Amino acid sequence: MSLNVDSADVAFTFKGGMLPMTVMELNSADPEHIRRQLASKLSQSPAFFQHTPVVLNVEKLDEPHLSLERICAVCRDHKLLPVAVRGGTEPVRQSAWALGLGWFAPVDESRAQMLKSVGSDSESTAPVALADANTAEEPAQAQDSNGAETTRLYRGTVRSGQQVSASGGDLVVIGAVNAGAEVLAAGSIHVYGALRGRALAGIHGNTQAGIYCRELAAELLSVAGNYKRLEDIDSQLLGAPAEVHFTQQQLEIKPLN
Amino acid sequence: MAKIIVVTSGKGGVGKTTSAAAISTGLALRGKKTVVIDFDVGLRNLDLIMGCERRVVYDLVNVIQGEAGLNQALIRDKRVENLFILPASQTRDKDALTQEGVAEVLDKLKEDFDYIMCDSPAGIERGAQLAMYFADEAIVVTNPEVSSVRDSDRILGLLASKTRRAEESSDPIKEHLLVTRYNPERVTSGDMLTLDDIREILAINLLGLIPESEAVLRASNQGVPVTHDISSDAGQAYSDTVSRLLGEDMPLRFHEMQRKGLLSRMFGGGRR
Repeated sequence: MSLNVDSADVAFTFKGGMLPMTVMELNSADPEHIRRQLASKLSQSPAFFQHTPVVLNVEKLDEPHLSLERICAVCRDHKLLPVAVRGGTEPVRQSAWALGLGWFAPVDESRAQMLKSVGSDSESTAPVALADANTAEEPAQAQDSNGAETTRLYRGTVRSGQQVSASGGDLVVIGAVNAGAEVLAAGSIHVYGALRGRALAGIHGNTQAGIYCRELAAELLSVAGNYKRLEDIDSQLLGAPAEVHFTQQQLEIKPLN
Repeated sequence: MAKIIVVTSGKGGVGKTTSAAAISTGLALRGKKTVVIDFDVGLRNLDLIMGCERRVVYDLVNVIQGEAGLNQALIRDKRVENLFILPASQTRDKDALTQEGVAEVLDKLKEDFDYIMCDSPAGIERGAQLAMYFADEAIVVTNPEVSSVRDSDRILGLLASKTRRAEESSDPIKEHLLVTRYNPERVTSGDMLTLDDIREILAINLLGLIPESEAVLRASNQGVPVTHDISSDAGQAYSDTVSRLLGEDMPLRFHEMQRKGLLSRMFGGGRR
């Protein structure tokens, strides 16, 4: 979808998009500490460090003044490209902007903040926020192309070997998802039946997505890439209605009553 | 207009050919003109189960490749009127079958027969897909064990996507579940899946339940479809199955553990 700026001769159009993004959660503000860990990670999986864009999440840090510049330098040394900072105090935000980085509101406030940014026309809010801004302004159009709200309804049993996906929103299955089947959604997955196969919600990185089912027996559950296998699931939760969310940086499975 | 019914399962050894032979025989015994086609090119079995292996001259592949006429290849059953067998080739492989060729054979058979039973090979490859492609109905043969149920589930997925009815978006194939080799004792002891478990996972209409029976093995080795052995539990169960296929309402039998009587306990009489 596009926000048409003026008339015919447009140099560019704004597009909303949801991109998967690596978030680097900082537990330490010490650049040397970060450097040591990055060095060991680099030796483990060199393929990951190919000018990968990352968002630095500093929410967990309790320091008003970060040496953002040095942290960014350490990242670039290891072929990570910081593109934005999430969370932190006002000075952190100012220094992020000074370094040419975007700034995102902390996780809990982010939704409200993103919607606020619609009117404020701020440059700091990068693609993710823009997508939400569009949704807020033109909900009907947003459903068509960026599809964030397009729900797909599937009636019947999803059978072994079948894959049903909702790439633009939620997936609702009225029936069972059998072992060996796979259901995927950009948003949440609702199964009004037994979930015996694999369910992957938030495939474009939406950590707010959830999985809901009438009977949990899933081979694999995943929200925004964070997954649990059947073996990892508490056996007491199996065979009963359940909901799955990504909270506290891990996949939480609860009985659904 | 003839009905084309595929007997399929995904997994091998669950009783597809036995069921195709028994149900075809049952349909013919009720006066329906029936032909049963062996699609298992290269691993021909149906002729043995039907007891006509010594009378095979031409086969399905010969007909498709124009080396023989359909009437030359069709074998008339010796026991039942109205029953014909179209055997598979043992010397070719499944690539010898073409979709156009199969369509042509089925179209010709449709003019003459009430029921065309396609005995599918195991697996989900070409042979199995061609056997199911033109079907109006499908009998999915399942044993009470997890791997068989999963393979049947996979086949049901293919029936809903890789068949002519699916591709033309016409009425979907009518799917029937046939549970075979059901042993109520072993179900009760937890060695086998229960009928309810199978029905819950596959979620299709139950056509019949065939108990594990010595009569089946005997029938296979003698080349007499078990439907003829009307005194046996399996023979009766297949007869019930045929009735249901023809739309009759039959109560389910042989799914519960039988209490052994004093005599059979004393003399260890097995189930026949």
